Amino acid sequence: MLNEMIVRSAELVSCLFPFDCMEPMFMKRAMLGLMLIAPLAALSGIQVVNSNMSFFSDAIGHSAFAGAAIGLLLAMPVNFTMPGVALIIGLLIMGLKRKSRLSTDTIIGIIFSAIVAFGLAIVSRNREASRGANMFLYGDILTIGDTEITMLAVLLMLFLIFQVVAWNRMLHISVNAQIATVHRIQTGVYQYLFAALLSLVVMLSVKAVGVLLVTAIMIVPAATARNFSKNSKQLFYSALAVSYLCSAGGLLVSAQKWANVPSGAAIVLLSCAVFAVSFLYACITNRKAAR
Amino acid sequence: MSPNTKELNSKESPANAIEFEHVDLTLGENHILQDVCAHVPQGLSTAIVGPNGAGKTTLTMAILGLVKYYGIIRFSSISGEKPRFGFVPQRLVFDRDIPMTVMDYLLSGLQRRPLFFGQSPKWVKHIMAYLDEVECTKLADHAFGALSGGEIQRVLLAQALLQEPDILILDEPTSGVDFKGGQICCELLRKVREKRGFTQIMISHDLATVTAHADHVICLNHTVCGEGKPRETLSHNVLAKTFGLHLGLPDIHGIPQNVQECTENCPLIEEHKHLHDHCNHLHQHCGHSHCKFAEEGENHAE
Repeated sequence: MLNEMIVRSAELVSCLFPFDCMEPMFMKRAMLGLMLIAPLAALSGIQVVNSNMSFFSDAIGHSAFAGAAIGLLLAMPVNFTMPGVALIIGLLIMGLKRKSRLSTDTIIGIIFSAIVAFGLAIVSRNREASRGANMFLYGDILTIGDTEITMLAVLLMLFLIFQVVAWNRMLHISVNAQIATVHRIQTGVYQYLFAALLSLVVMLSVKAVGVLLVTAIMIVPAATARNFSKNSKQLFYSALAVSYLCSAGGLLVSAQKWANVPSGAAIVLLSCAVFAVSFLYACITNRKAAR
Repeated sequence: MSPNTKELNSKESPANAIEFEHVDLTLGENHILQDVCAHVPQGLSTAIVGPNGAGKTTLTMAILGLVKYYGIIRFSSISGEKPRFGFVPQRLVFDRDIPMTVMDYLLSGLQRRPLFFGQSPKWVKHIMAYLDEVECTKLADHAFGALSGGEIQRVLLAQALLQEPDILILDEPTSGVDFKGGQICCELLRKVREKRGFTQIMISHDLATVTAHADHVICLNHTVCGEGKPRETLSHNVLAKTFGLHLGLPDIHGIPQNVQECTENCPLIEEHKHLHDHCNHLHQHCGHSHCKFAEEGENHAE
């Protein structure tokens, strides 16, 4: 039944894109996956940029190796060990960041190297798995499975609930956490919840664009949206718009015969192009405002 | 005694909003607060003065419950519960590129409805009333990141007042603001305090501001060097103890009276009128022979 639902929604989504290249089923599923990833990446990206957490999300992305390694060791499906490990690492970093007097960069740097080294050590012992490591590095949205789509859908629901409840408070905390705490906002609760959700978002997006580019699909739309918006509401909607546009556009471009590029790279390249446009736009409007 | 021992006791004399009893705090190897005993009177303006690194900010952090300490900090609010705090930090360091208006920022701490579903007219009206109180309604739709230091300070003050605090804590509200701005800020605070009746705690470097605007002063250099009414407390002895012996600080206690007497006896009173607020000015410009402080002034100037 689940399979049927996914197929239906994949058909529905691809109705929006009446192109030849959307005919095969794997393209439809890929598009559905990207339409679930786009809002997750865009919205978490906004908060990542606001609270300077891009290194955090990068570290989580790299924990994909450790997740895969643990899956291999315990003979458990990677679909579950990867998000599980990411969740633990994310909460661990957030906890150390809040409690320790070391700088955040240092904490993340240490954990980052530990998990990557651990992952590489285990994965490279196993020949088959080391061949599969490419899949984590570059990602492949075209092979997205039912489990992954379902997990994305559930995560998106949780994430949207979190945004409705916490959008305002997250903004407040990102300006100054101390003021927020004194003014009776549960800073810790919001920060831990966000770290947990962000870890899951990063890990499930690794499937689409790979470890190397996962930070880009979150940060670039958010940075682009900053150039287009003057207030919090505009930021929200423009980040969503940019993310949707670039995800769909990137997938379609990557499927063209003349392009022949991996979809992850196409999405990120398109996002960066849109960012460049937004940067010019911001320069021009700022100059006008200065006059 | 265990860390963070707080006793809430409404039976204590209502004249004191906060009482510190043997508050002790160590961060790493630094023994920052050493046996601090002092009180903060209810409904008045208390200034904490002291040199850099004396533990002024740390003491306010202890009041706010943001750091662990030994000893007792006793609050006596009318309700007997933990008081509501309003807090204005010294200098807000934040990402100035976050797209948000002043209204967005103030709403984000209060409104339940997420800002991407729009602003709630009820809260907007409420906030405008407070922005009016700190005289910056014009800034409501400005980008928060584009404001000047003084403007941000006012917005933060409005935000702290929006908490309807029992105790308002300001960390150096007049630093980074010019003299006139500082005066306006203190006047504004006095007006609002008289209207709302909260207790105000203000960290300050500026002894002139303290003398003019505080009702109670705590001189802090790791431990309390003196407390009480500013004019009585800020004596040579206490200031020397607080700031160190060799700073050669002016006798704050004496200046206002000297100036007054000088100007009363001085035939050039009209000319000297604008110079009264500063010791050096007094010495340099009041060299007229009829002025009874002229000689003393010259000696000092040397």
